[in-house]
Amino acid sequence: MTKEAALKYAAMVIVAVAIGMGLHLVGESKAISYMSSKPEACINCHVMESYYATWQHSSHAQRAVCVECHLPVDNYIDKYASKTLDGWNHSTAFTLNTYGKRMLISDDGARRVQENCIRCHSALSQTIVKTTDRYHAFDNETLGGGRKCWDCHRNVPHGKVRSINATPDNLGVKWHLKKY
Amino acid sequence: MKRNTVILIVGIVAIAFMSYMLLSIGTKKSEKMLINASTPIVKEGIEARNDRWAKTYPRQFDSWKKTKKSSEIIDLVKKYPQLAILWAGYGFSKDYNAPRGHSFALQSNRNTLRTGAPTGANTGPMPMSCWSCKSPDVARLMEKEGEKEFFTGKWARAGSEIVNPIGCADCHNSQTGELQLSRPYLKRALVSSGRKLEDITYQEMRSLACAQCHSEYYFLKTPYKDKKGVQKTAAVVTFPWEKGLSAENMEDYYNSFGFKDWTHKLSKVPMLKAQHPGYEIFTTGIHYKRNLSCADCHMPYTQEGGVKFSDHQIQSPLNNIANSCLTCHRQSEAEFKSIVEEKLKRKDQLNVLTMNNLAGAHLMAKKAYEKGATNAEMTKVTETIRSSQWIWDYSIASHGSFFHAPEETLRLLAVANDKAQQARLELTGILAKYGILNYKVPDFSTKEKAQKLAGVNLNKLVKEKLSFKSKLMSDWIDKASKEGRLNKEYLKGLPDKASYPQ
Repeated sequence: MTKEAALKYAAMVIVAVAIGMGLHLVGESKAISYMSSKPEACINCHVMESYYATWQHSSHAQRAVCVECHLPVDNYIDKYASKTLDGWNHSTAFTLNTYGKRMLISDDGARRVQENCIRCHSALSQTIVKTTDRYHAFDNETLGGGRKCWDCHRNVPHGKVRSINATPDNLGVKWHLKKY
Repeated sequence: MKRNTVILIVGIVAIAFMSYMLLSIGTKKSEKMLINASTPIVKEGIEARNDRWAKTYPRQFDSWKKTKKSSEIIDLVKKYPQLAILWAGYGFSKDYNAPRGHSFALQSNRNTLRTGAPTGANTGPMPMSCWSCKSPDVARLMEKEGEKEFFTGKWARAGSEIVNPIGCADCHNSQTGELQLSRPYLKRALVSSGRKLEDITYQEMRSLACAQCHSEYYFLKTPYKDKKGVQKTAAVVTFPWEKGLSAENMEDYYNSFGFKDWTHKLSKVPMLKAQHPGYEIFTTGIHYKRNLSCADCHMPYTQEGGVKFSDHQIQSPLNNIANSCLTCHRQSEAEFKSIVEEKLKRKDQLNVLTMNNLAGAHLMAKKAYEKGATNAEMTKVTETIRSSQWIWDYSIASHGSFFHAPEETLRLLAVANDKAQQARLELTGILAKYGILNYKVPDFSTKEKAQKLAGVNLNKLVKEKLSFKSKLMSDWIDKASKEGRLNKEYLKGLPDKASYPQ
């Protein structure tokens, strides 16, 4: 067999192995689940269990799943751009263990959540916007001069205590996983 | 050819990357399993061998093993010779050290001069009850023999059975790993104090697991018939919680049936010995009232990789201020240390005052009896000394009370000191009646002098103890390891220490 032929077969084998391994990786990483809106996809990474458990015990669990607050809902380009960016940041942080015990939302993430607060609670927020000059001395056009809903509504929806250290037993998660 | 080489290289790089990702996912998944799973250690019964839990709970086990770092012996009779006078006629006047890590529970129990030097299963000064708080083997043996049967006989009876120091199965269920109360006497005490067992929350369990041992108790003589119908008497560990958990409540309880732990050798007072009412006094403190548990500060959560677990190196939170105090408070570590030291100083000052007055009262009472004072004359003094020493002991016996409940501790010390002073005033009158003015009590300023006054023959006790250690005790360890109850390797890592030279 010539060297050329050997290389050709080797390349074929490698490609076959890589494809097989790729498929296995898709299965192992539950990659398909990220195409869904299911909250369980978010606890593929166990660091999210605290956040899942605190959400699951909140009133928002009756109305909204993770992505309905954390991703843009009506703009598909924004939605998938955000999803890609978050996905990259989260998976590298989790893989390389670079995340802290108390995780904070990014500025862009906060923007999205704020927009979704207003989207669902539109009647309420419109009233606030209309009367904002009566109780806020800000010239800013945005609601409350850059303040976010949860600057006051601090327990919505994850509760005040939600860091990995502060939520010892995520019974909600265990209880939930038992059902599936 | 070029194309194939490129495909080959790209393929290999892709495979290498995917292998790394698969490995990483595998690690994360096993971490998740560990967080959410509970593997039975044994299918049924109690697994008392701590090292058997290590495979399932490696992080908890490793941190538990670190309790052996706390090995130092602080001889408290040497530090406070008054203690030998206060406990004259009782075991504690022989030997009493500051607490050490959980790993040393059995070593301390076997090494202390209080447990004496038995030469066989039916000799020695102490009953079986003295094992109660020292080992998960206690829960195992109780399940095997029955509780009353367990509490029957001499301490030396179970020397080869009780071999693993305080560990996993003392607090955890061997099947599910959940917290549970392995000691029936705490359950009974909770019921007797009006608590409903079914209403106990998980957060309360994180204190009650500790309260199984860190509580006041006495040995209740309980007659029963064994399996063969033979009449026997068990000395059952019982918590005096029926009237409440305060020093005064327990005193009422003990007085209601005239209980005494021993008769004082010098003053002839029927005494009470407070053991270590740590849980009880903690319930009067602000941290308890804010719904904290023992584990919140003594076993703070920590992280290793992506796994969060509670640190099982149970120790003073001052060794780990960042993970304990500072999870709620915002001050600096240095400030915390100085605040706690200040609290300790306050207690120490009142503690020494009270001990001196109490020791003086005992010695004055002895003198009064020597001069012919009658029991009738001494009734009031006797009652006052009994009450004073009980309250003093209750306030400090748990060591950490100055922090767990500073106000209650200082209040009790003030009451105890006042009562000791009352007794001394009364005794001054009685002594004067018998012609003794300005009686100066004998010097008890060193351990040697105090133990001599208390009638403790230390050299003899140490000699007997060392002989016990080389004979009977060594047989216990061999037997236990031969019969598979103890991993002898574990003992090798423990430095053998006591208040006397080894």
